[in-house]
Formats: sequence, structure tokens, C-alpha cells
Amino acid sequence: MAETTYIDAIRRALGEEMDRDEAVFLMGQDIAAFGGAFRACKGLFEKHGRMRVINTPLMESGTVGAALGAALVGKRPVLEMQFADFVSCGFNQIVNNVAKTYYRWEAPVPMVIRLPFGGGAGAGPFHSQSPEAWFAHTPGLCVVAPSTPRDALGMLKAAIRDPNPVIYLEHRFLYRREKEDLPEGDLLTPLGRAHVAREGKHVTILTWSWTLHESLAAAEELAKEGVSVEVVDLRTLSPLDEDTIFTSVRKTSKVLIVHEATITAGFGAELAARVADQCFEWLDGPVRRVAYADRPSPYNKKLEQSLLPGRERITAALRKLARY
Amino acid sequence: MAASKRSKPPQPLTPAPAGTDPRVLRRAHFLMRLSRAWDSRFEAMARVGRIGRWYSAVGNECTTVGTSLALGANDAISTVHRDLGAVLTHYLDPTRLAPALFEDGDQTEWDALRPPPQSLLDQLASQVFGRRGGFTRGVDRSFHYGLVKPEWGIRHVGMISHLGSMIPVAAGLALANLQDGNDRVVLGFTGEGATSQGDFHEALNMAGVMKLPLILVVENNRYAFSTPLSEQYACDKLSDRAPGYGIAGETVDGLDFDAVHAAMNRAVQRARTGEGATLLECMLPRMRGHAEGDGSYELIPPAEREEYLKQDPLVRFEAMLVDRALADVERVKEVTEIARGIIEDAVERAMATEEPLIDEATRPVFAPGEVATAFARQSTEVTGG
Repeated sequence: MAETTYIDAIRRALGEEMDRDEAVFLMGQDIAAFGGAFRACKGLFEKHGRMRVINTPLMESGTVGAALGAALVGKRPVLEMQFADFVSCGFNQIVNNVAKTYYRWEAPVPMVIRLPFGGGAGAGPFHSQSPEAWFAHTPGLCVVAPSTPRDALGMLKAAIRDPNPVIYLEHRFLYRREKEDLPEGDLLTPLGRAHVAREGKHVTILTWSWTLHESLAAAEELAKEGVSVEVVDLRTLSPLDEDTIFTSVRKTSKVLIVHEATITAGFGAELAARVADQCFEWLDGPVRRVAYADRPSPYNKKLEQSLLPGRERITAALRKLARY
Repeated sequence: MAASKRSKPPQPLTPAPAGTDPRVLRRAHFLMRLSRAWDSRFEAMARVGRIGRWYSAVGNECTTVGTSLALGANDAISTVHRDLGAVLTHYLDPTRLAPALFEDGDQTEWDALRPPPQSLLDQLASQVFGRRGGFTRGVDRSFHYGLVKPEWGIRHVGMISHLGSMIPVAAGLALANLQDGNDRVVLGFTGEGATSQGDFHEALNMAGVMKLPLILVVENNRYAFSTPLSEQYACDKLSDRAPGYGIAGETVDGLDFDAVHAAMNRAVQRARTGEGATLLECMLPRMRGHAEGDGSYELIPPAEREEYLKQDPLVRFEAMLVDRALADVERVKEVTEIARGIIEDAVERAMATEEPLIDEATRPVFAPGEVATAFARQSTEVTGG
């Protein structure tokens, strides 16, 4: 067992799946000799060569479109967007071409689009966004956001093996901060399954990615005050694991939804609606959300920190909710 | 990116000709007439409201058939609105569909791989009607689908409505060939309107950088919906853009079968031997509006319209056949009648087929697997319950 960081886990998943299946190949900007902006692909070009680790010109739409073409004739492309923010340039190909193909003519589109996303680095409005809701709104896309090295590994491997397009959100802030001892072997995390990261009795938090860790810290704080918080790591946003969510909510009767994306029409709104619909009789308080303010992400770190939904804001929201 | 071993010689039906091989011309004649018969039938139905919308390929036949006849089994095509001729050429074994028109030795090895032509024609007709028997079983319209059947030698990716979006997809089909080290090529079609979209640029730039075995045919029929060339681009010829991408470029008269077929053969040769992509612009007359009955044709000045309607590619092609003593008037009539009969029958059969099952509307958006299973578990998949 060796300590593996979140980004090491991603690199391991890419390497293992490329070894396992010749149809798997990587496309992205600066991913070959350079290994990608965050070095997630480091070493893979040397091992697999330029036909399987393909440096593209600076383009997103063309890359997604080309990956679709290759997928339709048996390849399994894994794309890296340099930053999740740039995926907007490939948006049409993803939501109109890739997402709709299977429904339209039943051709499977095995494809993974990796999106390094999220804030906390003072990177400004165009290197900090959390775009999951754009894609969760589109039928035909699976949207995942692992929080731990174990799931970063297991979900990327599962995503590469699935015959459908998967939007894989990997949080930049977690890349080198989250570490875990991972065993050898073929470690898979099922897609479409949430995980109860902390068991509790009084309040349920529904969250994913970086805010999972902030939520766990807040839950620890509340425990000192006698409030037992259950934390559900959604892992897959679409399709949603409603069983795990509703079971937790029906147990605790109170829900706090936490996400880093901006609040209005964020994925939390969908969760709140489904919980209200399916758990109405069990609820003992309002369904609350802690999320980013409806603003672009400012550059100055202090300004950015003032908007991020970190542990203090989560703790405060939990205290209020616990009083109901 | 250098091409890997691409040494197998190309196998077009004919070498680049000074006058195309008579076997190719015989096949082309029938396929062009088949395409025209189809359009005539559907235009008539559009006029009386029996189908909602029809985008006619009248005027494009020489280009779509002349280019796609240069391909072999498992070369791929990517088509848009007016490419019926290419779809028919790619799908059908004409020697089984109209045996009376062909001679011994006309059937190719690829023809023998393909399924019975009548069944594919029936499926295509049902597809256009949005019926149960179509390729999408009622879920998407006319040419919005694909058919990838390597065992038949057929690799066809149809369109979405965002026209330029298909050009990178065609590039991706070509990329897969490069990765596999085979000598197959990809023929993509687009209109001059879509060359203004970013995807045209991204795909051709990539094709140049990676030396992709791609031929992009621009069917330049001078109007995109109602927008004339002068408002679409400012260069002289669209093929002038090719050097900017480091690829080959040619502009040909899209009504001159020999010229189209020879240019395509040159492009296929380049693609098969690792020399990369070609932008082949085919100049066409605007013989119909954007869609039948949408008013866009009436916007073209009448004198200009008259000029276009005189340039019918089939009239010109058949005159050429007669000139070269490859057909007489009787033969032309026979091909026309047989093609019309085949299409009449296919349309009749398609109209008699059933509407799609209502459950098709809620069929899965995911291919079978873990994700599809999770999607099916969601309680609120159908809202309002």
C-alpha cells in the first residue's frame, strides 16, 4: 500500500485502463510530453505513444466532435479539458451531438470528458467554475464528481468502461491535498451510487467533491455540540441515487444541501425539489442550501474566500437547521 | 503526426480517368436517377402536405454520387441534408436492386457484402416518414441518424441540425483509421453555409496537423437558406482556404461527372497514402429552396433562378452518355423508369407501415450498463407522477 494523491489516482486509472483496453486513448491540450496542465497524464505519452496520447491544437468543440467520430467506430476516447471553464467552447458538441446520439439512433458513445474544476486557488472568473448543472440538465450524460482518491480512481475506471458519455468533474483543490492508502488491484467504484461518508441522526448533508470535506469538518464541529450529522457524498449527480438520499433524509428529517457552484438553478435546486416531492411527510425543517453566491469567482483570494461555501458557513447553517 | 503504415494500394472502381470507366458511369446513372426519383416523389408529397418538410437534393446528384462512388467498403461517409445520392451509393448494391440494368461483372466484392438493397431502401423510406420501420423508429427526422455496420462495409454517420458540427465528427472517423493504421478514408459533406462555423476551422486545422485521411466536400449551391455567397464569405473560392490549413484544395464544377470523380479519386489517393486531407469544393446550381415551400427560392432573382434550372446535372450527364455512345435515348428512358418504379414501390410500402410505438418516446438515453441501470432506478424520471 502506498499513499496516493487524488491526481495520482486519476493518472493510475488512465494508465490501468489504457493497459487493459487498446481502444482507450487520450486527447487534450498539452497532455503528451508535458503531461497536461496539472500533469494528470504524465508518463502516459512515453508509454503509449502519439496515437493514444494525442496533443490537440487549442480547440474544445473540434476535440469533442472528433472523439465522437472515433467512439462511433469502436474507440474509447478520454478527453481532458485544460480547465473545466473551457468546456463551454465544446458545449454544443457535448449537449447536442454526444448526449443525444444513443437516444436518436442507438449508437453507444463511450467517452469520458475530464473537467478539472473548482475554486480556492484565487484563479479568477475563468479558472474556477463548477459547471455540473449545465450537464446534469442534459439527458444522455452521466455526471460524476468523486471526492476521494479511492473514488477518483474507481469512478474514472468505471466511466471509461461504461458505454456512455461521462462528464468527470475532478476538483483541482483536491489534486494534491487529498491522500489515501490504496491497495493494488482493479479498484472500481460503481457509477450511480452515493456513499454515506459519515453516519448521523439529526441532519443530513447532501454534497459532493470539495464541499464534502468541508461538510465533514462542519459535522465534526456540530458533534461537539451534540448534533449528529449524516453526510452523503453523492459521487454521481446524474443519474441520481435517490434510494440513498431519501433513506438518509427519512432518517434525519432535516436536509442541508451544499455545493460549490452558484446557487440559482444549481444542482441543489434539483435535489431540493426531489426531496420535497418524495420526503415531504418526513421533513421537520426547511430544505436549506449553502452554495456560491450568484457571482463570477473573483481573483483576489480574500474576495474569493468570502464567497466559497466553506466549513464556517456550513457550520452556521447546520446550527440553525438543528434548532427546528 | 506521421501516418503509420498505409501501404495497401487504393482500390477505386477505376483509375483516375480522362473519361470515366463505363462501369462507373452505368452505376452512377442509375444511382443519380434513383436519387432524383426519390426527390420527385417527396417534393410532390411536400407540396400537398403529406410530409411536413422536405430538403431536396435536386442539383446535387452528380456531386454526391460522383464523389462517393470513389470509396470502398468501410470507407466512411458523413452526410447532411442533400446527400441522398451518397447515402444510396454507400448502402445499395444496384446490381441486385435493378438487375436488368447491369451486366455480369458489374457486382463488386463490396456489393456482395451488403444486405438486400430493397430492405435498406424500405428502412430509409420509413425513416423519412418517421415510421416504426425507420432507422430511428420515429425518434429523429430524415437523415438524422447513422448506420455503422462494418460487416456490410457500411460506415455512415448522419447529421444533427447544427451543420458544421458534423465536420469534426468526420475528422474523428478519420482519426480512428490513422490510429488503426489502415488505409480507409472518410468522405464528409457540408454546405458552403457551414464553412462559416468554427467547427469547420477546428476540424480542418486538426486534419492538417494530423494529416487525417479526410475528404471534405463542400456542396456550394450558392445560398444558405436565403443567404447568398456574398454575405457568407469574402474569399474567391472556398478551396482557397485549404493552403491555410496545410491541406490540398480544389474547386470543381459539381455538374461535371468526370471532373468530380477524378478530383475525388485524387483526394482518395492522397488520403490512402498518408498525404492527408483535401477540401473539395463542388460548385452547384441552386435548383431548389432551402426546404420545399418555405419561400426561400422565390427570394432569388428570377433570371438567376432560370439559369440554375437550366443546369440540371442529370440532363448534362445523360447527354454525355449519349455523346459517348454509352447509352441511347431508350436506355436513358429505361433507367429513369426503373428508378422511378423502385422508389414508388418503396414509398408505397413505407406509407403502409405503422406509426412508432408510443414507448419509443421514453426509450433509454443510455446504452445498457451501470449508468443505464441507475437511470432506470430514478423515481422521477417521468415527471408529474
